[in-house]
Amino acid sequence: MTHHETQELSPQEKRPLDTGSAENVSTSPQFSPQVDIWENEKGLTVVADMPGVAAEGLNIDLNDNVLTIHGHLTPASDGRKVLTQEYEEGDYYRQFKLADDIDKDAIAATIKDGVLTVSLPKQAPAQPRKITVVSA
Amino acid sequence: MAFLPIFGRNIHVPFWELEKMRSHMENVYNALAGGINQFRRNYTGVFPLVNTLEDNDNLYLTAELPGLAADQLELTIKGDTLTLKGAKTVVKADEGANYHRREREVGSFSRSLTLPIKVKAEDVAAVFKNGVLTITLPKAAEARAHQITVQAQ
Repeated sequence: MTHHETQELSPQEKRPLDTGSAENVSTSPQFSPQVDIWENEKGLTVVADMPGVAAEGLNIDLNDNVLTIHGHLTPASDGRKVLTQEYEEGDYYRQFKLADDIDKDAIAATIKDGVLTVSLPKQAPAQPRKITVVSA
Repeated sequence: MAFLPIFGRNIHVPFWELEKMRSHMENVYNALAGGINQFRRNYTGVFPLVNTLEDNDNLYLTAELPGLAADQLELTIKGDTLTLKGAKTVVKADEGANYHRREREVGSFSRSLTLPIKVKAEDVAAVFKNGVLTITLPKAAEARAHQITVQAQ
């Protein structure tokens, strides 16, 4: 991983949101944030780059095992004249389908310096329960 | 634009013909997209991408640098050249974790920009908020717009 740290960054264009079969009629651009997702026996962690998004602009929900991340930002260009533009500003949106074993009440999220971290702990494994069959 | 980083920066020079072709294609593409895409894309191939904005008093440079270590960011201004240096570090995965996705890039960067107008270098301020760097450069007196009143005679 050391080469990862020392390599030079190259600019990447933001990935426009894939709206699937739904047609996009939003006037402002929306982007799919870049993420890292890892899992161990304790749970799942989602890390997403969402520069410009403050905690107030963040909306995360879990519905039918689908985790939705939505980040709203106030563009830095608001009220200023744009001279040159190399990157676009817009909201971030992405959804993930999760496994059933996530403890929905224990999901926690933090955002710092434009990086969102969502931790999704797994439920404690169900204890095997012995059922005694009684003969009638 | 994807092939250059693959070869690493040391071999950019032999590929300058390709780079020229790429920028030409980009111009053609931008010209075609112009009707739909209202943005003027100034792709330079150097990280980070920077937007230049202005109002009456200041010039603003903004760059999106999520997860950047703000104390590692180095900003210098000399004459009309502004240099931005820094590094984006890895967010460490938990012990014994396996990756499902690994899209976020990390690494170092260094970019020099030529300022379009004269600024007061000693009054330049930089703020890093929510992963966005905003550099405020007050315009020098000679670079400001002055309103001229037309006298009716």
